[in-house]
Amino acid sequence: MEILPLLIAAVAAVLSVISTYLAVRANDMLNAVIFSALQSTAYAIMFYVFMAPDIVLVYVPVSVGILPAVTILLIKKTERYEG
Amino acid sequence: MKVQEVVIAVSVAAMALLLAYAVEIGGLGPIAPHRIRDLAVAYLINTYNPWNITLSSLSLEAVTAIVWDYRGIDTFFETSVLFVAIVGVTSLLRGFSEKTGLGGAGLSEIVKTSTRILAPLILVAGIAIALHGHLTPGGGFQGGSFIAVLFILLSVAFSLDYAVKLGVSSRKLLALRSSGLIGILATSLALLVAGLLLGVNSYIFQNMAREGAPLSMPSWLLDRPTGGTLLWFNTFEALAVAAGISLAFLVLSLREEEMKEALGQGEWYE
Repeated sequence: MEILPLLIAAVAAVLSVISTYLAVRANDMLNAVIFSALQSTAYAIMFYVFMAPDIVLVYVPVSVGILPAVTILLIKKTERYEG
Repeated sequence: MKVQEVVIAVSVAAMALLLAYAVEIGGLGPIAPHRIRDLAVAYLINTYNPWNITLSSLSLEAVTAIVWDYRGIDTFFETSVLFVAIVGVTSLLRGFSEKTGLGGAGLSEIVKTSTRILAPLILVAGIAIALHGHLTPGGGFQGGSFIAVLFILLSVAFSLDYAVKLGVSSRKLLALRSSGLIGILATSLALLVAGLLLGVNSYIFQNMAREGAPLSMPSWLLDRPTGGTLLWFNTFEALAVAAGISLAFLVLSLREEEMKEALGQGEWYE
């Protein structure tokens, strides 16, 4: 049973790297916001598995709720497509 | 874009599985370390230690005890940083006024219905996390951000007009935020003032009695431990964070018509 949480943390870490790459590469800024929220969720799972529930509780609303909301407002008032 | 779609599908599936497992192990997974450092041992022994109250904070949760009691002044300044940022947002865009009837009826009926179902759950979860901060993981900031997310969700799903019609205004949010901050200040000074009045030694941010400072906050409410100041700090912090972040979102999401006065005002100072 020791290996399973570590495996889950590893999968979440890989997922976060992939979604960070996609967020950086995205031309559509809305996609970038969604990928960055995905990355935050992977981080939240890692925090949870490594027994930091306090951090999870603050990380989930801030990085999946407030940060995308503010970023989407920013995109709405500026430009959606890059390049 | 084909690869991207596959990645999204796989990651959503992986996320569902991981979330299910993470919920199943219940937070305290089998990764608990066998050896704990001396500092951690000291905190674990002393956080809830009714036999030696001069080292204890009588809180069942070590993290909240460290954040608001042992390292209380650090947290006070962290909180100040957030509120200075919010003061910056509101003063940069000062002079705006909320208006209704600018169009925008919110999102579709499906989204509205699911938001109606979710909203009370988020509210209750936020309040529970804030008020149980000294018993379970969580605390004022966590609970407050849950409630702020609820405001953001409502104002997106039902439109800003709806929120304004309900009576939400930047003035009220500012008043709530300020009363939260005043509450934090009053809690941190409560025992100092009591000590001055009674003529005994006491400290700023004092929670339980310390050596040479015999006063302590009431640590039981009926049959529940309150952790002394921790319950008050968490309550006021939740109030201040919820109102503050909602205020920042409200100000940032104002429409052009509402901002016209604010933008015109800048010319006075040129």
